[in-house]
Amino acid sequence: MRVSYDWLKTMVQVPDDPAELVREFVRTGTEVEAVDTVGESFDRVVTAQVVTKTAHPDSDHLWVCQVDVGRFNLGEDGEPAPLQIVCGAQNFEAGDHIVTALVGAKLPGGVEIKKGKLRGQVSAGMNCSERELGLSSDHAGIWILPEDAPVGVPLAEYLGTADTVLDCEITPNRPDCLSMIGIAREVGAIYDRDITVDLPSIKAETGTPAPEALSVRVDDPELCSRYVARIVRGVQVGPSPDWLVRRLAALNIRSHNNIVDVTNYVMMLTGQPLHAFDLATFAERGGRRSVVVRAAVEGERFTTLDGVERELAAGMGLITDGERPVALAGVMGGMDSEIEDHTVDVLVESACFNAGRTSHTSRDLSLISDASIRFERQVDETGCADVADLACALIEEVAAGAVAPDRVDVYPSPRAIEPVSLRLARVHALTGADIEPAFIERALTRLGCTVEVADEGFLVTPPSFRPDLPREIDLIEEVLRLWGMDRVEATLPAARNHIGGLTREQHQVRRIGGILRACGLSEATSFSFAAPDDLSRLHMGDEGLGAPVVLMNPLVAEQTEMRRSLLPGLLRSVAYNEAHGTPNILLYEVGTLFHGREHASLPREVRSVAGVLSGVAAEDTWNQKHKPLRFFDAKGVVEELLSQLRVEKVQMRPAEGDAYAFLQPGRAAEVLSGGSVLGWVGEVHPDALASLDISLPVAAFELNLEQLLRAARGQERYQVFSSFPSVDVDVAIVVGEEVSYQDLVRRIESAGGRLLAGVRLFDVYRDPVRVGPGKKSMAFSLTYQATDHTLTGEEVERAHEKLVAKVLRAVKGEVRA
Amino acid sequence: MSLIEDLEQLEVRARERIASAATQDKLEEARVALLGRKGELTGLMRMMGKIAPEERPQVGRRANEVRAAVESLLGERIDEMRREAQKHRLAAEAIDVTLPGVRPLIGHQHLISQIIEEIEDVFCGIGYTVESGPQVETSYNNFTALNAPMDHPSRSARDTFYVVDNAPGTVDHPEAHAHGESDLLLRTQTSGVQIRTMLSQRPPIYMVAPGRVFRPDTADASHLPQFNQVEGLVVDHGITFGDLKGTLDHFVRAMFGEDRRTRYRPHFFPFTEPSCEIDVSCGVCHGEGCSFCKHSGWIEILGAGMVDPNVLVNCGIDPEEYSGFAFGAGVERIAALRYDLPDLRALMTGDMRFLAQF
Repeated sequence: MRVSYDWLKTMVQVPDDPAELVREFVRTGTEVEAVDTVGESFDRVVTAQVVTKTAHPDSDHLWVCQVDVGRFNLGEDGEPAPLQIVCGAQNFEAGDHIVTALVGAKLPGGVEIKKGKLRGQVSAGMNCSERELGLSSDHAGIWILPEDAPVGVPLAEYLGTADTVLDCEITPNRPDCLSMIGIAREVGAIYDRDITVDLPSIKAETGTPAPEALSVRVDDPELCSRYVARIVRGVQVGPSPDWLVRRLAALNIRSHNNIVDVTNYVMMLTGQPLHAFDLATFAERGGRRSVVVRAAVEGERFTTLDGVERELAAGMGLITDGERPVALAGVMGGMDSEIEDHTVDVLVESACFNAGRTSHTSRDLSLISDASIRFERQVDETGCADVADLACALIEEVAAGAVAPDRVDVYPSPRAIEPVSLRLARVHALTGADIEPAFIERALTRLGCTVEVADEGFLVTPPSFRPDLPREIDLIEEVLRLWGMDRVEATLPAARNHIGGLTREQHQVRRIGGILRACGLSEATSFSFAAPDDLSRLHMGDEGLGAPVVLMNPLVAEQTEMRRSLLPGLLRSVAYNEAHGTPNILLYEVGTLFHGREHASLPREVRSVAGVLSGVAAEDTWNQKHKPLRFFDAKGVVEELLSQLRVEKVQMRPAEGDAYAFLQPGRAAEVLSGGSVLGWVGEVHPDALASLDISLPVAAFELNLEQLLRAARGQERYQVFSSFPSVDVDVAIVVGEEVSYQDLVRRIESAGGRLLAGVRLFDVYRDPVRVGPGKKSMAFSLTYQATDHTLTGEEVERAHEKLVAKVLRAVKGEVRA
Repeated sequence: MSLIEDLEQLEVRARERIASAATQDKLEEARVALLGRKGELTGLMRMMGKIAPEERPQVGRRANEVRAAVESLLGERIDEMRREAQKHRLAAEAIDVTLPGVRPLIGHQHLISQIIEEIEDVFCGIGYTVESGPQVETSYNNFTALNAPMDHPSRSARDTFYVVDNAPGTVDHPEAHAHGESDLLLRTQTSGVQIRTMLSQRPPIYMVAPGRVFRPDTADASHLPQFNQVEGLVVDHGITFGDLKGTLDHFVRAMFGEDRRTRYRPHFFPFTEPSCEIDVSCGVCHGEGCSFCKHSGWIEILGAGMVDPNVLVNCGIDPEEYSGFAFGAGVERIAALRYDLPDLRALMTGDMRFLAQF
């Protein structure tokens, strides 16, 4: 809402410095987005006089003029001299006082005046019409000023339009502030001052009374709670007087003609949107015309006055003349019934349309108007009649119309406003401030409430233009914002009987991040959205991942559903980093996945933790060389994570089959704990990488966070170290390739007995000749130790022989000499 | 020459020989030659039998003194040599200490997570719990229970991502929807967690709920279709607007610095009343006005208000018995303000160079 300071001044006393009012507005809840000085848009536009006017030598309609612009005169030689301007207007003569835009002027609408040549003749400015200055729709020719107009005065100064305009952001609960009167009332409440609004009244009513010439029927009472119509006959449609043009211009409303301008002016003054129809365009039956307010039927078509034919949906509000639509109720009038230069009789509509219905219509048609903005925030229906009268009085004044007696007023159920009890104790209990009762009474009264003293405080009847005040809490808010939120003393709640802090699980989730960072991975956050082919293009199966959760209104094609795995997002980050030449790509993400359910509304939301490792851990330095990150680097991270979280019975098994087609076969493992699958670790299949233009190998893992948290155990009790010496014995066991490390180690551990204190694999060796084809030698260092005595050589030998024999039998292996 | 004199001379010779031994080998030679089984001192001692018995104690004492003196000289000389050798070794091991060290590879926490944890910790410090809720929410929890009117513009598909409902009408509180909308949406605010918490816990409630929220804004330098909010809610006996101020003053100072001031501007939100927006004094100009704060001296940082009685009633809490306040802040906005981020999209790329800065 743009607020003209000049206009505001006519209604209430305001501070001389607008900045002071701005501070008070901000303090009491009216955000001011900008403070403009109007007249700036007339920068380098001055009053002028035509000195000579000669026909252009090479044109039959252009004139070459010498124009005196007073102190702005500037000849070709830099000395003061009248400007040469080529002009195409036909409505002026030498000696006329006119308005000229100098070189460098920017006119409303963005036109910038430059020096140039028109058909060979220099032109150093432009003679302006009122339309070009945004002051009127009149484009009959250039603007001819009265003979007594000065020459060489900035136009803003000449017009007296230097005004300050506050661009206020009005919150949706304050329809009343979408009007100058509402703003004036707000100022009155802030400064405890009276407001005065001088409104003209109708001077004479003549002709057939409106109710005899017009009937109004409201078929949809929910849509329209009140419809007031008045008729003004014999109007002379034409330009508006300067004062009206200027008031509207300050509020960024372009002048159309005197009738439309009056409706806009009254709307800006009172907040009640009005519409003026050309009555002659309404169907006539037996000398009477009618207005029917009804809901549109699905598919009905209507051309609004912006010239767009729109297809309507059922339920949108329509004003019709009984036969065809003439306006989209509360949003915009129709092309066919708008006020034209030849309009004679005007129907003035002052109605109240339903807020929700207007909002839907406006939203569904993407059509927002000054009227729809006001109706959707709720207009004060009790004021419809007075506002209609005001509009008629102004049309009478500026367009010489004859107002028909009486109104047509359809208002079946006048709104009753219930008084609200405002308890002083409640004000104190909720604000925590001691606000004096006298202040409360004064502030609410200034806002237009009727305030009576009652038992526990006041009985307050809010004014009809404040639909946002039906409850006690609403009144408390008004009192607090005017009294001043900044004045309330800051306190802290006692929080008795409440304990806070993170839960164990929340701590664990934080730890998981900490462990992964300690492993060198940095945290990424990807979009929760996914493309429909995110999984399929990686050849990732969706078994166990539920159905996709699909957006109804996605923004872009790559984000039409919700992600079911963290891997695609992390791989995008790998591709991004690789494309930017980053050599070390180590990322993890902890995030939510969305597993849709076929026959249920809400999806399952599952948290997941995933990581990607690609390139090298770091670039080589003078004293440190790094190997490319591969499977075992990712696996090591997973092992460290599981170990730190004390996950028990960890097991890895080759990840095979279609479900793992996105991983390189033979370099992928399922991660299990106690038989349940926590996730996987592996190198991403080259085909999957190629689909994302990734060239380097990527080792990755993804674990179900919920399962991981369930599998995590607490820290075990301290275990005393043996104080007796240990003995290390190395053994290399040759086994077939089909025997995994995991199998072998489990055999060793179970065969080891009490004395085996440690197993460490230190070499894996393959050689078709020395080891044999299809075989491998795995060399272990086994540590023997007792907790209660020093082992003798014999004891160790016995235990070791027993262990080796058992293991060899179990895995069909042999000891490599 | 008496044995005593021989011993005296031996000591003098030993002193010279030990002092002149240049290497540990020479020193060992000297030790063997002096104190060894075939050494000089041993030789002299063998002659003890040839002297008078009454002189023996004196000579014996003297011999022991000489032995001790020689041993001590040897020891000192060895120490000296070791020190010398170590000195040389250490000198040889000297390095350019300005060369880069071997740094352990530690990953970085995403700055948004850092800020979220920081906020959680500020509130845990004053006795709050951390709550969470689903990101796919019902329109009832996201809007209706929070007192947003059915025709509120924020419900439109222009401002809210709607989700295809696989089982229409089966959520708690199904609602009628315009074309293109449904009962399921991507939460546009974390406020739904307020509702879930009030329904599942009884007051006193002191909680924050950080989390992802979604709005259909095309990604650009200052917008992301997905971002993070931290919502806070307190419901207890006797909670006042003053409590809201004290709590949020604490939060703002903890996040931005003790010297920062706050400003409470009345505002409107459907789910709180009275409502306000909270500004923090500009950290660049300290309130004087600069380009960073668009010359206002203030930077908007939070929305807050007293919980609207309708919201309490929707959650089965008696507004006459309990009152409360709620607040919300955008995490990316805090990040952008604190670290002067020129483009929010950098938060989503996983760019290692970006992540490593925080």
